[in-house]
Amino acid sequence: MDRKNTVLSGSGLTVSYGSNVVLEGIGFSVKEGEFVAVVGESGCGKTTLLNAIAGFVSFSGVVDKPKKIGVVFQNYAVFPWLTVEENIAFGLEGDDAAVEHYLAMIGLDDKREGYPFELSGGQVQRVALARTLAASPELILMDEPYGALDVYTRDRMQRWLLDVWRKEKKTIVFVTHSIDEAVFLADRVLMLKNKRIAGEFPVKFRRPRSKEIKYSKRFAELKKTIMKAINED
Amino acid sequence: MYCLLPLLVFILVWQAVSESGVVNRTLFPPASEVFLAIVELIKSGELLVHVKSSIWRVILGLTLGSLAGTTFGLLTGRIKFFEESFSPIFQVFRSFPPVAVIPLVIVWLGIGEIAKLFSISFAVFFPVWVNTHIGASQIPVHFLQAARTLTNSVLKKWLKVILPASMPFIVAGMRNGVAVAFIMVFVSELAGSSNGLGYLMSVSQLTYRMDNLIAGLLVLGLLGALTDYCFVKFTRRLFPWIGKTQS
Repeated sequence: MDRKNTVLSGSGLTVSYGSNVVLEGIGFSVKEGEFVAVVGESGCGKTTLLNAIAGFVSFSGVVDKPKKIGVVFQNYAVFPWLTVEENIAFGLEGDDAAVEHYLAMIGLDDKREGYPFELSGGQVQRVALARTLAASPELILMDEPYGALDVYTRDRMQRWLLDVWRKEKKTIVFVTHSIDEAVFLADRVLMLKNKRIAGEFPVKFRRPRSKEIKYSKRFAELKKTIMKAINED
Repeated sequence: MYCLLPLLVFILVWQAVSESGVVNRTLFPPASEVFLAIVELIKSGELLVHVKSSIWRVILGLTLGSLAGTTFGLLTGRIKFFEESFSPIFQVFRSFPPVAVIPLVIVWLGIGEIAKLFSISFAVFFPVWVNTHIGASQIPVHFLQAARTLTNSVLKKWLKVILPASMPFIVAGMRNGVAVAFIMVFVSELAGSSNGLGYLMSVSQLTYRMDNLIAGLLVLGLLGALTDYCFVKFTRRLFPWIGKTQS
């Protein structure tokens, strides 16, 4: 892999909580502008991997990462005491143009003075992504951001995210328990199993992707392959 | 309107018992006499002087006690050094009934305004401190992690994340503080003062003016309830997000 193009890489990454080893000797690399999804069963260490990359937990091994990393969490990380506008502006130093740009991008210009409790789940997640993007990170880590959304909102948010990703050209590592979501969004799906990255699946659907590809045979086959790999002993 | 019914019954029973001759009317004046005493105290301007003195002491004591309680609560809630240094001593002091410190305060600071303010602030400090401490130590980790990825400014993290994230607890502590402040203003004015509702009641007791004593008590109760009501309204307006969950 071309080192110049690599935004994130790790080798021998091991995370333990006391005597409980959660991740062991993980190696990976992510290219600039790439959309990588991480899947695996509950408790396999997906969130721990993101936390280690973000620097939220201590680990042994090497992680080569950019200075500015943004994180989008599943729940409750949009500050409830700040309005939509204030949340987006949190990581900025008085850059009004950037706030306006991201308010327009998430389509919540008319709710700029509103608080998160006045918004729907999908709207809150859009604010969370806008706040992260506004801080201009070189890498965005997303931890099951749509896990709490209903299936229709989730579907809409996935297409919106692809649109934003295409326009903003950011590198994204996206953790999800939904294989469907991973295959639809990512260029590459990494499978976490038995404390390691046990599989890597390139996703070769053309972009921009429409929701129609979810009904294609190739999509179903790739999903089945990943599912089988996860369930194999 | 239903809420007024028990109050009306209470006043009627009070009036009837006092008028019946079963109790000593001088010691237990009827509601009508207390009402007239309140009117007289208002007309003479005496009540306003006492109310203003007491309210001013409550506001100042509440402000000082809350500022100190919030500052120390945030520090002990977030920084291990402060928690280990201050929490044990605050926990011991917190167990004292606040009124028990008044004799010592009189010996040390006399019966002037400083002594009263100290007594009220001291009593307000502990409920505000313990609530803030709990709130600050229980901030959801995602808020702190998000702040960490978005800003390097320590001041911004404290002022825009840690302080507001602890705000529901600070408000709860201050609401307890309001109640405690009214108890303390009354007791400290009883202990020695030339104005305030506590003083009015103390003088009324010495001169056997039970109508004025009960009038002072009612006004103090009304003021406490009104202050609590205003505090709740004010905090709801200032922090509309408290207690609200996302739709």
